[in-house]
Amino acid sequence: MEKAHNSFNKNGHIPTSPRNIPPPAVSNDDASDNHLHHYTADEANRISEDVDRFISVISAIDDKSSSSLPEVPDFIKTYSEIIESRITRSRKNVAGDDDDELFFIESVRRISRLTNALSEFSSDARVTPPLNQTSVALQRAMVFLEEEFRSLLEDSTSEWDPQNAQNIQKFSSFNSKSQQEYSDRCAAQREIDTAHSSSVEYPAYSPEDVDKMHEIATTMISAGYETECCQVYYISRRNAIRNQMNKLELEVLLNMDDVVRMPWETLEAEIARWINVVKTCSETIFPGEKRLGEWVFNDHPEIRRSLISNILRAVVIQLLDFAEATSMAKRSADKLFRYLDMYDALQKLIGSISGESYSDELTAEVTAAVDRIGESAVCIFCDLENSIKSDAAKVPVPGGAVHPLTRYMMNYLKYTCEYKDTLESIFAKHTEPDKKYTPPPPPTTTTTASLSSNDLERESDSPHNFETVASTTPFSMQVVMVMDLLDANLEQKSRLYKDPSLRCVFLMNNGRYILQKVKGSPEIRQVMGDIWCRRRSTVVRQYHKNYQRETWNRVLQCLSHDGLLVNGKANKPLLKERFKIFTNTFDEIHRTQSAWMVSDEQLQSELRISVSAVVIPAYRSFVGRFRQYLDSGKQADKYIKYQPEDIETLIEGLFEGSITSMARRKT
Amino acid sequence: MPATDHNQGSFLNRISIRRSQFAAVDHIHDQEVVDLDLFQRHVSDRFSLLLSPSTTTTTTDSHETHQTHPPPPKIISISWLRNLLDAFLCCEAEFKTVLVSGRDPAQFSRPPLDRLVPDLLERSVKALDVCNAVTHGVDVIQHWHKLASIAVTSLRQNPVGEGQVRRAKKALTTLLTLMVSDDNKENNANTTTTNNAHATKWADRTRSFSRRGAAITTAAANNKERPSGKNFRSLSWSVSKSWSAAKQIQTMSANLVAPRGAESTGLAQPVYIMNTLIVFIMWALVAAIPCQERNGLPTHFQNIPRNLGWAQPLIGLQEKIGEEWKKKEKKGTAGLLEELKEMEKVANSLLEFADGFEFPMEEEKAAAMAVKVAEMGEICRRMEEGLGPLNQQIREVFHRIVKSRAEVLDVLDHIQVCKHSAPLPY
Repeated sequence: MEKAHNSFNKNGHIPTSPRNIPPPAVSNDDASDNHLHHYTADEANRISEDVDRFISVISAIDDKSSSSLPEVPDFIKTYSEIIESRITRSRKNVAGDDDDELFFIESVRRISRLTNALSEFSSDARVTPPLNQTSVALQRAMVFLEEEFRSLLEDSTSEWDPQNAQNIQKFSSFNSKSQQEYSDRCAAQREIDTAHSSSVEYPAYSPEDVDKMHEIATTMISAGYETECCQVYYISRRNAIRNQMNKLELEVLLNMDDVVRMPWETLEAEIARWINVVKTCSETIFPGEKRLGEWVFNDHPEIRRSLISNILRAVVIQLLDFAEATSMAKRSADKLFRYLDMYDALQKLIGSISGESYSDELTAEVTAAVDRIGESAVCIFCDLENSIKSDAAKVPVPGGAVHPLTRYMMNYLKYTCEYKDTLESIFAKHTEPDKKYTPPPPPTTTTTASLSSNDLERESDSPHNFETVASTTPFSMQVVMVMDLLDANLEQKSRLYKDPSLRCVFLMNNGRYILQKVKGSPEIRQVMGDIWCRRRSTVVRQYHKNYQRETWNRVLQCLSHDGLLVNGKANKPLLKERFKIFTNTFDEIHRTQSAWMVSDEQLQSELRISVSAVVIPAYRSFVGRFRQYLDSGKQADKYIKYQPEDIETLIEGLFEGSITSMARRKT
Repeated sequence: MPATDHNQGSFLNRISIRRSQFAAVDHIHDQEVVDLDLFQRHVSDRFSLLLSPSTTTTTTDSHETHQTHPPPPKIISISWLRNLLDAFLCCEAEFKTVLVSGRDPAQFSRPPLDRLVPDLLERSVKALDVCNAVTHGVDVIQHWHKLASIAVTSLRQNPVGEGQVRRAKKALTTLLTLMVSDDNKENNANTTTTNNAHATKWADRTRSFSRRGAAITTAAANNKERPSGKNFRSLSWSVSKSWSAAKQIQTMSANLVAPRGAESTGLAQPVYIMNTLIVFIMWALVAAIPCQERNGLPTHFQNIPRNLGWAQPLIGLQEKIGEEWKKKEKKGTAGLLEELKEMEKVANSLLEFADGFEFPMEEEKAAAMAVKVAEMGEICRRMEEGLGPLNQQIREVFHRIVKSRAEVLDVLDHIQVCKHSAPLPY
């Protein structure tokens, strides 16, 4: 269908003939819209070209006073109508193809340019009616684009539905403080790390939609509708993040007041959940938001930066509030690991927001929160000093076994050292660099004196002489200090034992346990170093020697051959007495020391072997030598209760830690 | 303003009476008494300035003298709130000095501090949640401000055509509806019955917008219960749904009892002052800025005893804010914040212009509208300049409370360590 329209020549002369178009044909699919019609693509293109020419003509005019403006052609009105009709059609959900959409965007940009160009001449009364018309068309177009923009942003199919949600669920269930689960946790974390790195895109918009958003944003901004555009984007994205979190059950909506008074068991579960949220944010949501913002606002870095930082800010502040509240809660040793997890999570979060200097202020906020958590962690760890110092028991552990304190502390240190890198950085930051390490007074002096100080090599008094430690970072110094305090405390506890042998067994047991723990954990071993381990072995061996001397020297004394043979003749009463003493002493040692506890199998067998090695040859030779002097038969049986083989068997029963087993054996 | 009059005369007298008392005081406790007294005086000074800013000239406080702000900010305006927070931060810093500096930590484990300090700490944690809610409220206002600025940008164009008017109208209807629905939403969170008149008024107004024909408000009115209606988006509150600003203030002001008898001259007094200040500041913020669930707010802050000298300006402010709140309840307007009140008023008159708009606009009308646009522009400018810093200041208050709490706890921990450390849980 032919449609007349005005044309104007390139000289800027614009014909003033009124539009003499026949009423436009009404298309079937738009029958109700009787004052607008569809222009064919050709017509529309021709008008577009005319408009472009007109814009360039009037833009080229330097003098913006009214006199220099040519007549405003009627096709301006027509063009406005084309746009309005297109919007009306879209509103009725008449789907256009991509070309149509492209044409529409082009048209909106054109009418925006036209409006701007015309408004330069706004002092001319002739301009105002067409300007009014283009402004209406522009406004309608903008409202339409705004709605398009919003519906693209809120497209429900774009919601991110990760296949690895299961992994996340699984991870969130790790909130128990049992030791096994701590190591499981690490494994689960690695699993999630790999799952996340597999390309799960967030937010899941199709490239076409993102392109469309980009086109719309660019058009709106260039038409001066930046505020509308940013508002739609900001609110949509903020609410989308909220929905996303809800969907993953990661919403953190806790009042600080509640967090501060929460029992630790509940809080620990919340922390695990929170760490998930922070991880999801820093690995998926924030990078996704940044990517989306960069695509959509590609041409406007300033707008993009402020939008993204505002969107992230709202989420981050909320996450930080929880962290702040947590660090306010009462501190205790078992919270350390959770704090360290939070510290690590926040460090990663900083990485995900700081990138393009989106917001220095926000980064500063996170850094401040990280510091607070770090301080809490340092305080908790340093508080161990006081806790160990004040751990004073009144009752010795039965059988000289490993003290629960030793077990607790060594397991604690083991897990602590698994966070070595984190703690190194926290300690480097939060402890004064000039804080000098002052070793506590040598704790072993008393025992050493009560035993035989000459036998203890001086250098191994304390295995912790500072030079023996591998590294001298503030953190490792703190670990060494804790070790020293533990030693001092155990030394103190050993004094609860009246029996010096048992005291040795206690120290040996605990020393051995500490050594095994250090050797078994590469992280602590790294902190303490090989020299420390060697010295610690020496100390334990020394306790072993001391034990042997304390217990078995007197046994060996009664097996001494001295004074039993006078001129080749046996002193029978003395001999009988010796056998009796031996049997009694041995019985007594056996009775008490079978109840003693050496749970380390290797140490247990080492002890038995060393006892056997000393006692059995001496006894065998004693019996072999003097048995003949007793009247054979009855007398020998009476005084020699045990054959050397029996002694060997009985020694095998030492350090079982069981009174009943000994009783059974005796009967 | 009876409170103001009352205050001005007695205020200076009080200082002189106190001064004369110093001479008689035993020298051993001299410093402490001087400190306590100075603290009370500074609290009184700072809040007198907030109550009636015209007395700026008479102040001796070096902190204030270098500030020469030409017109004193209107009460409950953005700048006034900023001054309020400044005053709070100053008082807080001074309080901490009085409480902690040079004090034997052992005093914290003895009465009355053993009871008062934990109480203060607990109250301050509650204040943090209020800070967060208010921060979100400021975000919401930022959003409203953007809508108002769209109207200003649009109507400032020359000439104003139908396109511009429609753009402004859309922004303004959205603005007014959001002011309604955001404020209502906060109240609907818990109860719908207590504030019936108020809610009905809002509903009426919302409906009247839709009569004006803007499709968007129809959608809004229909979706009033559901703020996420098709064309209508507002920010979801960033606190849990059951949280109520009014209830929080109520809990905070519970057990807030002025020290009596011998305690009233000792350390109990500054602790009580600090407690009162925290509750007052939070109460004022919640009153001024939209927050989730504010029903019955004025009654939730109990009256401060009138016989306390330092409290006079606070009592005055409390009364003023209470009156403003009553007005808000009666008119059903969006906020106590001066800028919001003005914004709502100007938005309504601009909307009237928009409704009666015919192209081309008569010069007379255009001029009248330009005045309103300029007013709105001014409000926007004040918001533009003030809201960001206000938000930062609220954050600062937040951080300060966190920090002070930690500092006091450190002192308390120190005592504990001396006594007994946390047992190891083996």
